[in-house]
Amino acid sequence: MWNCEDCVQRLDQLVDKELTEPEVREVHLHLERCGDCVKRYDFQEGLKKLMKVSCDERAPDALREKLRQQLGA
Amino acid sequence: MAEDQSASGGDFGSEAIEHLDALYRGALRLTRDADRAQDLVQDAYARALRYQHSYQAGTNMKAWLFAIMRNLYWDRFQKNQREPVSLDDIPEFALYDQMRDELGEGPEAEVLNRVARGEVVEAIEKLAPLHREVVLLVDVEGFAYKDAATILGVPIGTVMSRLHRARQQLQKDLFAYALESGIVPRGLDRSA
Repeated sequence: MWNCEDCVQRLDQLVDKELTEPEVREVHLHLERCGDCVKRYDFQEGLKKLMKVSCDERAPDALREKLRQQLGA
Repeated sequence: MAEDQSASGGDFGSEAIEHLDALYRGALRLTRDADRAQDLVQDAYARALRYQHSYQAGTNMKAWLFAIMRNLYWDRFQKNQREPVSLDDIPEFALYDQMRDELGEGPEAEVLNRVARGEVVEAIEKLAPLHREVVLLVDVEGFAYKDAATILGVPIGTVMSRLHRARQQLQKDLFAYALESGIVPRGLDRSA
């Protein structure tokens, strides 16, 4: 049975969806019983999303047009 | 029947240009400058076009393009690929736990909505390049560890350790910002 430490050690892999199926099952068993780790997980996942939305950018139209011509696209 | 030379880019070109926004935002965070970012992206596409025969159709085009751009970036701006600090030099730091200690109870994830996006970008741009690029690949672009490992030319374990360190550093910076901006009230013992 996993404890909080097992869970915290794999928090990166958990939010990145890089755990194996048996590990995911273990994590969920722990999360069902541990509110603190649920919040930890939600928070870590929130951070990951925050990084993604913060970096969202569109390339300038002029650059797109220039590359379209170069690439024959 | 004559092949139309100008169409040689054709399908390859259309597929490649679909990833322009992703490459551009990556270039912007790597170079931290809009003009340099545009130059880097253009050069990456020029190189991709030149070496398009080495791209295997059906494989991950986005990853292939990122690898090209990433190599150009290192050739041009960062000759020295040294690990900034060893893992042992950074004590474990989790933003959630720090906030909980400061607030007395665990923060809800919603507290993150109050963090300004510009602040997050700044924290990412402050990371050492070897850490920054792995965050851009995994968090911003959503690459799997194995794809990030291929792009960076390192083992998966290295991707994981760099990512962990990068996140530690980011969380520290964001915590400092959360305290400064009042998102998290300073503990009584610190205000004295």
